[in-house]
Amino acid sequence: MNKNDIKLIVIVLMVIIILFSFSLFRKKANIANVYFENELLLEIDLSVDKTYEVDGENGKVVIEVLNNQIRVVEENSPYHLCSKQGFISKSGESIVCLPNKIIIELPNNELDTEVS
Amino acid sequence: MKKFTRLSMLLALSVALNVIEASLPLFNGYIPGLKLGLANIVTLFIIYQFSLKDAFYIGILRVFLVGILRTGLFSTTFFFSLGGVLLSIICMYLTKKFLKLSIVGVSIMGSIAHSTGQVLTSILLLQMSSMIYYLPWLLLFSIPTGILVGLICKQLIKFYDEVLSFE
Repeated sequence: MNKNDIKLIVIVLMVIIILFSFSLFRKKANIANVYFENELLLEIDLSVDKTYEVDGENGKVVIEVLNNQIRVVEENSPYHLCSKQGFISKSGESIVCLPNKIIIELPNNELDTEVS
Repeated sequence: MKKFTRLSMLLALSVALNVIEASLPLFNGYIPGLKLGLANIVTLFIIYQFSLKDAFYIGILRVFLVGILRTGLFSTTFFFSLGGVLLSIICMYLTKKFLKLSIVGVSIMGSIAHSTGQVLTSILLLQMSSMIYYLPWLLLFSIPTGILVGLICKQLIKFYDEVLSFE
C-alpha cells in the first residue's frame, strides 16, 4: 500500500458518506407497489394495517403492513433474504425476492413529484 | 508451461474460489450482492501477469461456468455478475495504467467497480432506480474486501515469480 492507496480509500469513504446522506433525507412513502417479474400485482395503501398474500415463483409470499411500514413475513427461498430484511418505510426503498421474482417498491409520493 | 495451460488452470481456480466463497455462511447474508470477491484475485493476477484480453476471456468464461454450476445460465444473478466483472476488469486495467496506485489500490478500484457494475445492471434489468440505495452498503464493504484481495494477489505474484525462477 502506498500514499495514493490511502487517498483512494479516503475519497471512496467520502463518496459513501455522501450517498448515505441522500438516503437519510428520504420521505416516508404512503403507497407500495408489488411486482411479479415486471407486472404490477398490487398497489398497497400503507396507512391501512393489513396482511396480503401474493403468488411468487416458489409459492405464497406473505406481506404485512403495520404502522405505515411494510415487510415480507413468509416466503419460500434458499436464504430468506427478503423476510430477514424486515420493515421498510421510506420512498425509494425496496424489498427484492429474487427467487420468488417478487419486488416490493416504495415509489416517490405522488404529492412530492407534483411539487418538484 | 504453455500460456494456454496456465490460463486454464487460473480459470479453474477462479471458479473454485467463487463456489467456495458462496458456501461461506458469513456472506450468504443480509445484503444481496455482498461477497468477498476471492475470484477477483485471479482476474487481478491475470491483468498483472498476462494481458487485458486474457483477463476478459477468463472473466467472461468464469461468469458462464459459475452460471452453469451455481446460479443458472442467463438468470438475473448471471447478468449482475457479468456487468460487475466487465466493469471491474476495465476499471482495474485503466487504474493500473494511468494512476499511481499499488496492487492493493487497483484491487480496491476493481472491487468498487464490481459493486457499481452489479447495481447498474440491476437498475437496467429490473427497471428499478431504488437499487441505487444498496450501493453505499456495497461500497463500504468493497474497501476491506478489496484490500484483502489485493494483499493476497501481491503474495501470489511474489510466489509465482519465485516458482518460475526454478523452472
